[in-house]
Amino acid sequence: MSVRIRQVWDRLFTVLCSGSVGLLIAVLLLFLVPMIVKGGKAVFFRQTVEFRKMQRDLFGRGDLDSLHEAIARTGQARQEVLARIEQFGRGIDTKLLSDEAKDAYRKYGLELRYREVSREEYSRLRAAAKDIRDNFLAALDSTEEAAANRFLDQVDLHRDSPEFQATAVETFFTLSKQYRRILDEMDLAHREEYAAELDIVKTELRNLLGPLPGESTPPLPQDRFGATRWDVAKKHLHYLLYQTKWVPGDSGDGRLVKKEIRRDDPEAGLFAGTELAPLFSMMEKNLERMLEPEWTVYGRYFLDDSTSGHYFGGVGPEILGTLVLTVLSMCFAVPLGVLSAAYLVEYAGDNIAVRVIRTCINTLAGVPSIVYGLFGLAFFVLIVGRPCILSASLTLALLALPVIIRASEEAIRAVPQSYKEASMALGSGKFRTFLTVTLPAAGPGILTGLILSLSRAAGETAPILFAGAVALGPIPDLGLKFRWLFQPTRALSYGCYDITVGDRLAMRVPHNQFGMVFTLILLVLCLNIAAILIRSRMSKKLQGM
Amino acid sequence: MDAIPKRSNATERRGGVQIGSPKSRPHTESAIRPEKVIIRASGFSLFYGEKMGVSDITMEIEAGSVTAIIGPSGCGKSTFLRSINRMNDLIPRTRAEGLLAVGGQDVYDKRTNLVNLRRQVGMVFQRPNPFAKSIYDNISYGPRLQGIRSRTKLNAIVQQCLEDAALWEEVKEDLHKSALALSGGQQQRLCIARTLANKPKVILMDEPCSALDPLATARIEDLIAALKGTYTIVIVTHNMQQAARVSDRTAFFCLGKLIEYDLTDKLFTNPSEKSTEDYITGRFG
Repeated sequence: MSVRIRQVWDRLFTVLCSGSVGLLIAVLLLFLVPMIVKGGKAVFFRQTVEFRKMQRDLFGRGDLDSLHEAIARTGQARQEVLARIEQFGRGIDTKLLSDEAKDAYRKYGLELRYREVSREEYSRLRAAAKDIRDNFLAALDSTEEAAANRFLDQVDLHRDSPEFQATAVETFFTLSKQYRRILDEMDLAHREEYAAELDIVKTELRNLLGPLPGESTPPLPQDRFGATRWDVAKKHLHYLLYQTKWVPGDSGDGRLVKKEIRRDDPEAGLFAGTELAPLFSMMEKNLERMLEPEWTVYGRYFLDDSTSGHYFGGVGPEILGTLVLTVLSMCFAVPLGVLSAAYLVEYAGDNIAVRVIRTCINTLAGVPSIVYGLFGLAFFVLIVGRPCILSASLTLALLALPVIIRASEEAIRAVPQSYKEASMALGSGKFRTFLTVTLPAAGPGILTGLILSLSRAAGETAPILFAGAVALGPIPDLGLKFRWLFQPTRALSYGCYDITVGDRLAMRVPHNQFGMVFTLILLVLCLNIAAILIRSRMSKKLQGM
Repeated sequence: MDAIPKRSNATERRGGVQIGSPKSRPHTESAIRPEKVIIRASGFSLFYGEKMGVSDITMEIEAGSVTAIIGPSGCGKSTFLRSINRMNDLIPRTRAEGLLAVGGQDVYDKRTNLVNLRRQVGMVFQRPNPFAKSIYDNISYGPRLQGIRSRTKLNAIVQQCLEDAALWEEVKEDLHKSALALSGGQQQRLCIARTLANKPKVILMDEPCSALDPLATARIEDLIAALKGTYTIVIVTHNMQQAARVSDRTAFFCLGKLIEYDLTDKLFTNPSEKSTEDYITGRFG
């Protein structure tokens, strides 16, 4: 019976072990797959014509002729929408109309000056024009439709008077006609609301199609282009079509619930029945024609500089910065770590002091990385004089040191005494023995520590947060004058952090955020594979294969 | 086995050939001529911290001879052997007293150059311990330490040493393959060849065959016989037949003391000490 129980236990143990490994793999996949899928979108995505424009403008890439054709095609598709928004905008934002009115009055004044009229005649006409202008402006300002129409009637009184024929004053009559049509469709009482919503609609249109006609080229590159990616475009289309409102819920207790209302919804939509209403369905139907999305592989994502924040471009400088920081920190940490480990194993013996040191090292390995970050700020940055690559990589080296010391210590301790004896017996000193026998034999173990700490150093954000990482900064040129050592640098981990905490940015470029994580994972994977290959070659050599 | 007498015989003989008191210093029936002495221990003791390793050893080893050290486990035979080239220094807190000299040079003198000493006194260990390098690099390790860089010189040394160690024919094609690919016996001969490359005066062997099969053991023993005369060999062994086969003189250690030291034939056929007799006849050990 007891044999059976033991067998059951054995079976159970096997199942538990394999089960936990299975669980681990599942969790890993659960973590990695979305990360890779989301990050992959930074490279594989549907580009729009705006993306091609951006590539042309900022990087000088792409065929100009075909781009012009595409711009012409999409421009045609956009035309009606843009005309509509401009037209509607006039009614809401009366500033345009009033500007035009004031402009017309001024023009009329100039016209009068160059005409042969008597002084009295001049004053009379001028006063009349002023009267028309003031009435029109009053119509624009009034919040009641009746009052506005009354003012417009006053304007139109002069419509047929011959003295204003073929002068700038005629503009007033066209404007008044336009405004009347707007007044027919729109409830003046809601003008403020319309204005606010129109602003949003305009912003989203800008996000989709780039600057609206008549607007000057924005100074920041991120405002110069519409949606460069189809997934982002679809998101902005949603923002354009739907308005989020807090309305009383069905429960009747006055609790508000969030509700998305289509802006042209015949019942609840604000713009329903207005001149703008068709715009929404038009956008929905024709967006593909306006942007011409097509699948693309943006391989230069890993090389391109990012332009204007992380809005466009790639993560080239971030990759370079991460590599520089990691490699440099390993250059500091590995020799120091291996030498310390050698001392601890070969020379230190076993006394209280050594045990205390060992405990300290083990504790250091578990210290949160932000502590290293603050130490880096308080020590290295202060010594070097400014946050830069040097101080950041020194901080990272400090972070990596305990892991390297521990792994190297174990590796050096595991080298058989007989190896060292063989070397000593041949007349080599401690140093030669360490260099020619112990170190090669401990190599694979030391490399294991290096792999662990390298991955950590590459991925850590907190230590470099204050010590030399920036979201936007110079690209290390790796020149022999080593000036780059004293410049701050970008890094993948910090870039990802920066996008994530800047919520506007994270909303607009989520692909970049995950793209950085994805790149970081790829980078660490590549570094690890390289280290593992070296390690397996080393251990093969040690085993005589 | 013939060399080892039955216990009863030995006791019989003891009555007749009793020499000196039990406490007398090693019997030297055929005394070593002073100019032939290469290793001289006089009242030599070695302590590991407070623990005694060997105590009060006095013996002389003849140049060009093979000397076996036998004794039960923990009797200090390896300790004594490793004292000769100060390999015990690797163990912390060792302390030596008395005199131990190799070729007239006091081993434990503070001014002794360890590198020179170990170059003169090579050592072969219990387990074959070639470096994880090629055969060529293993052999040339010592010469390179001495600063020999010339390829032709190194080639000559490697070939000479491998030939001396009776390994050349087996490995001459694979000089640049890893030494760890060799069999255990070949590895041990490689270790001997590696020691030879330093041109030592003395080769210490610490149970060189204990990890090897009988065939490989036989080859090592042949090798020892071949090296005899050119090199002074001190071999520690657990295997009494081996001691009887290869050595000219044998020392019997017990509990850190040298009990008896004599010509091998004499020690195995007619030991003068009771405990020697007990050990070689298999009473203990």
